[in-house]
Amino acid sequence: MTLGQIPVIDATETRQLHEFHSVLPKHTESVEPRPTNPVIIFEDFCLYYGSKVGVRNITMNIYPRAVTAIIGPSGCGKSTFLRSINRMNDLIPHVKVTGRLLVNGQNIYDKRINLINLRQQVGMVFQTPNPFPKSIYDNVAFGPRLQGIRKRSRLDEIVERCLRDAALWDEVKDELNKSALALSGGQQQRLCIARALATGPKILLMDEPCSALDPVATGRIEELIHKLKSDYTIVIVTHNMQQAARVSDWTAFFCMGELIEYGLTRDIFTNPKKKQTEDYITGRFG
Amino acid sequence: MRNYLRQFGDKSFTAISGLSVLLLTAALLLVLGPLLWRGVGAMVFQSTIEFRRMQYERYGRGNFESLKADLAKVDKIRQKVFTLIDDFSAGIDVESFRKRTKRVYRQFKVQLRNRVKNGTLTEKQAALLEKVGKKIRNRLLQAYETTNADEAIRNLDFVLTHAHDRLLTQLSSGQFFDLAREYRRVVSAVDLTRREEYLESLKEVKRIVKELLGPRRDEPIPALAQFQYGATRWDRAQQLLDRLLWKEQWVQQQSGMPLRKIRIRRAEQFAGTELARLFPLMEQNLEKMLLPRWTFYWQYFIDDSTPGHFFGGVGPEVLGTLLLTLLSMVVAVPLGITAAGYLAECTSDNQFVRVIRTCINTLAGVPSIVFGLFGLAFFVLYLLPKLGLPRGSSILAGALTLAVLVLPVVIRASEEAIKAVPQSYKEASLALGAGKFRTFISITLPAAAPGILTGIILSISRAAGETAPILFTAAVAVGPIPETITQPTRTLSYGSYDIAVGDRLAAQVPHQQYGMVMTLIILVLVLNLTAIIIRGRLEAKLRGQ
Repeated sequence: MTLGQIPVIDATETRQLHEFHSVLPKHTESVEPRPTNPVIIFEDFCLYYGSKVGVRNITMNIYPRAVTAIIGPSGCGKSTFLRSINRMNDLIPHVKVTGRLLVNGQNIYDKRINLINLRQQVGMVFQTPNPFPKSIYDNVAFGPRLQGIRKRSRLDEIVERCLRDAALWDEVKDELNKSALALSGGQQQRLCIARALATGPKILLMDEPCSALDPVATGRIEELIHKLKSDYTIVIVTHNMQQAARVSDWTAFFCMGELIEYGLTRDIFTNPKKKQTEDYITGRFG
Repeated sequence: MRNYLRQFGDKSFTAISGLSVLLLTAALLLVLGPLLWRGVGAMVFQSTIEFRRMQYERYGRGNFESLKADLAKVDKIRQKVFTLIDDFSAGIDVESFRKRTKRVYRQFKVQLRNRVKNGTLTEKQAALLEKVGKKIRNRLLQAYETTNADEAIRNLDFVLTHAHDRLLTQLSSGQFFDLAREYRRVVSAVDLTRREEYLESLKEVKRIVKELLGPRRDEPIPALAQFQYGATRWDRAQQLLDRLLWKEQWVQQQSGMPLRKIRIRRAEQFAGTELARLFPLMEQNLEKMLLPRWTFYWQYFIDDSTPGHFFGGVGPEVLGTLLLTLLSMVVAVPLGITAAGYLAECTSDNQFVRVIRTCINTLAGVPSIVFGLFGLAFFVLYLLPKLGLPRGSSILAGALTLAVLVLPVVIRASEEAIKAVPQSYKEASLALGAGKFRTFISITLPAAAPGILTGIILSISRAAGETAPILFTAAVAVGPIPETITQPTRTLSYGSYDIAVGDRLAAQVPHQQYGMVMTLIILVLVLNLTAIIIRGRLEAKLRGQ
């Protein structure tokens, strides 16, 4: 896909650079995110779909207990990047990987890696809410059950904690046996977050988690992301640059499968070093 | 103008599709309606006293006291009929006269020889007497033979001239004269020229009366169950009465024209004879002889039947069909789902898979008789004997054959259903750390269950109704109720086929054929309804209701 084919960004999203100053989160000013020991390390990482490039030559550190936003035009490799962290790209045939990707110090593309452990450590939330067609309880308990937890009281405890963490408990506590599909879109997405939390991950990947939601539900998810930041490392792909500016501490800009620029969100949005980044952020792309 | 055309197009589309639905419904009603209506006749009908007797004797149902009282009542009227027939047939049935005469002559000869031994008769006397006896015998036989009344009487009179011979009357030859006198009465009462005709018709009358009223109480019980009872159904009794009252004949009215069937009143045929009284007697008293009564024979679905389905129900057939169908599903469904899972989830779309898929599709279109022959060759003759099971058709072999038959349908439906499960479910499950197998079992299969059930519903209907695959592998027309699955069984589909091809069976027990077909339809409907209800619940659950 050439750049010319990239759809024009919605008018409401095209803002002048200075507009972002007002929406930047306050906390970024008070609590400066400091680069600590990175939890995810990309070392010259490349991923190919057959002969087609997914992402190329990524070298990047992702830091714990912070939100890292991935932005960039459609088809730039954002999702590929995200999905390579829990190896969801394995589902696609003919995927080839070079370089290294370390999660908690382990190269996850090593042959000896236990995929199941990895995916339990790296939770994922998808673009469209995708709860299983089961009850709310069973949705959340799916992960723990996979880990072999059978005891009802233990499961109850996990389900309650995760639903509380996902800020859904108060809304559903009386109808845990109701089908998850009966919930609203925003509730479903929070349920998916609770479901991802239930396996006890350290890292949470979110692939445009709000793109199918209305502004109110989006607001609640963003609030939730804020709250979860204190315990989890969150990597979020988003098309909405205001959202990236609002929720993230770090921002990476991707284009054509390459990492163009990566840094503190405030710096990226106020003082981009590359022309391409600035053009994209201000909506003058191309 | 174009807008008008578009509206017209829309409306005609609605009309045509609505019409096709209406046509479909009408066709369904036209086909199924009469079938079910007639099938119900196997259960709800006017039963006769013979039916109640059969029910009491074979299944121990009914009140013995009232049955006995009823039987005594009908026997009184029936006795009149039997007497009429016996009297007439004694006169017309020359064969019995002939046999009796010959028997008397044999006894006569033996007696003579004994007398010679005791010395009461000399050899010479005996030879003379034997000569006379032989003459009498031949004259009698001639009298029976002829259709000329005068000639017969001449012969009989000749015989009777010896009636005063003291020596002859003392011996068993005395019976010759009784016979001669008896036959004289017949000759004076019956038109001898029509004797042959009478004889043939009489045989038919006797058979029909026996079929109507059953064997007489004083007769030994026939070995064949079919002959143990009379007409158990009033509608059948009326058919038989019609055949009793009217004789059908094929005649050629003009040369070169095809034969035409005409009906002749038997009463006219026997006009002037004693037997002519039989027909009005039967016509007026049939109801009193059979005591018809409306019955709801619900045990039809569970009763065993006599060979040929003359009496009883379709219990073993229902059991056999159920066993075969369910067993074939037990085999086909897990296999089919596994295969579908492999095709849908575990392989990419390569050449090999495409060949397999083509094979499956081809298999779905193979005529069922081919599967039947395959089942005979592979399961019945090869595999099961190899496993130490008795060689020969069995429920197991039939179920395996049916499983092979429905496997393509199950695989195709399941594969489509599995493919239709949203990828996002599988992704979510995998992202939570579930393996491929776990995802398939706990996420994909439940989500695909309604689609898989659709395949199962189609398969059940197919397996329950198929005749050809079980023809050589599992089904028998007559046989005991199977105790294990290594024995053959009766089934509804094969039963209706057997009645249809059976010699005149379909004409004698049409209600059984309709009854079986109705039972089969009901059975398939019940099985399908169960599956449809389960599917509905699953679907509702999947939709989140």
